Amino acid sequence: MEAELFLIRYLHVLSGIMWIGILWYFNFVQIPSMPKIPDEQKPAIGKVIAPEALFWFRWGAFFTVFFGLALAWRMGYLMDALTLQQPNIGFGMWLGLIMAFNVWFVIWPAQKIALGIVEADAALKPAMARRAMLFSRTNTMLSIPMLASMISAQNPIM
Amino acid sequence: MAKILEDLKLTVIAGFVLTVVMVFATEAIYDSQMSAPEKAVSDMMNNM
Repeated sequence: MEAELFLIRYLHVLSGIMWIGILWYFNFVQIPSMPKIPDEQKPAIGKVIAPEALFWFRWGAFFTVFFGLALAWRMGYLMDALTLQQPNIGFGMWLGLIMAFNVWFVIWPAQKIALGIVEADAALKPAMARRAMLFSRTNTMLSIPMLASMISAQNPIM
Repeated sequence: MAKILEDLKLTVIAGFVLTVVMVFATEAIYDSQMSAPEKAVSDMMNNM
């Protein structure tokens, strides 16, 4: 039982670092650097690095949520957290769920069009790139209280 | 909202503001869940 809980929490944290690490890479490194990269070198980002990063990003999000929910269920506080009877972890859980929804149902579909991974009208690409950027920024903003909430479940803030 | 999200620094500041709001909301929910005797003990402990 203890070893199982450790393993689930360990995989939850590893997946979470993969997810939030790449989210912060996109927002703190890649997006601000794009205007400084010469046009002839931009395909290296758009065609090689971004698709690879998006693969680990979206599956990191999926497994963070999967192992997080599994941990809460095995620990017996899943419903209390989701109904905010335990708000310290509950807020973090809801923020994480909203962020994962954004990854899979907004950012990834928009990036597939923006990066040319799927066929789409070329005129649509700038709008999809902007949508992906704004929702990625939304997730960056939400990651700050989400992580505070996750930590406060172990070490209360007040 | 888009103006905040277009600026990385403002996005981070907004994240910390949300964190403060969440901390107070968490405290308010815990307070609302306490019974009267628990609340009296909690207030006494906070005032020590």
